[in-house]
Amino acid sequence: MATTLLILHGLVAVALLGAITHQALATCAPSNAKPLSFFGRFRAVPGAGFTNAVVILYLISWLLGAVVYLFFKIDVQPGLERDRHWHALGFFDLKEDFVAIGLGVLPAYWICWRSPINGQSRQMRIALTLLLALIVWWGFLVGHIINNIGGFGW
Amino acid sequence: MVMPVPAFHRFVFAFGAAFALFYAIARARGLALFTVYPSQGIVLFGMHRSRDVADPVLDFLAPEMYWYGWIASAAAGAVAVGVIAALLPARLCRFWAWCGWAVPVAAMIACVYLTIPWFRL
Repeated sequence: MATTLLILHGLVAVALLGAITHQALATCAPSNAKPLSFFGRFRAVPGAGFTNAVVILYLISWLLGAVVYLFFKIDVQPGLERDRHWHALGFFDLKEDFVAIGLGVLPAYWICWRSPINGQSRQMRIALTLLLALIVWWGFLVGHIINNIGGFGW
Repeated sequence: MVMPVPAFHRFVFAFGAAFALFYAIARARGLALFTVYPSQGIVLFGMHRSRDVADPVLDFLAPEMYWYGWIASAAAGAVAVGVIAALLPARLCRFWAWCGWAVPVAAMIACVYLTIPWFRL
């Protein structure tokens, strides 16, 4: 049960990571990138088309993570404490904090992308999209490290 | 051209800012709306520590979780602030929009500060 949910959580996170990275680069990257380069094509997506997907994937990922967290607390965390993986636990604490803050930002992010663009809303779009991208990347990397910590030999 | 901003927009921006602020406060002060004991499948209203009622060395038998309670506390406070913001004049929308990303960034920095003890162990 926990393993199935964790794999699902990871798969949704991969999709979310792709969507938010595409959108963040499409929003922020300089417009003089060569259109035929990989970078040029990567950012040449219509950013607004990712908004609903990002919101839905974030919510699903958060929900799955919140359920898996129950198993983590009982089965995994005591082992990490016993083996003195304090840094990993600190990074995981930050992950849960960042993800929670991202949850609160999600409605504003959605509204920004739904509103007609002007100077102020463009800045808001960039700020909130970068913030969510940072949160998603942090959550993904830390989750990956915690999942694989047994193989790191720390 | 200045477009009228619906009250819902003000609610949403204020909600995002207040949620982050209240989450950081709840995290710092331990203000969880409820406490979850996953190994027992129990949810208790308010903040409870196993070691307050049992020997600290037995704490691992009933690990408590506050994260869900912190989120609930932050959401409850943020809804109240959002409603107030929606009732305030529309000219404050620029302020709420600015808060909508600046306060979450500040709250994340505060959370980094609160996590430092883990890295001193």
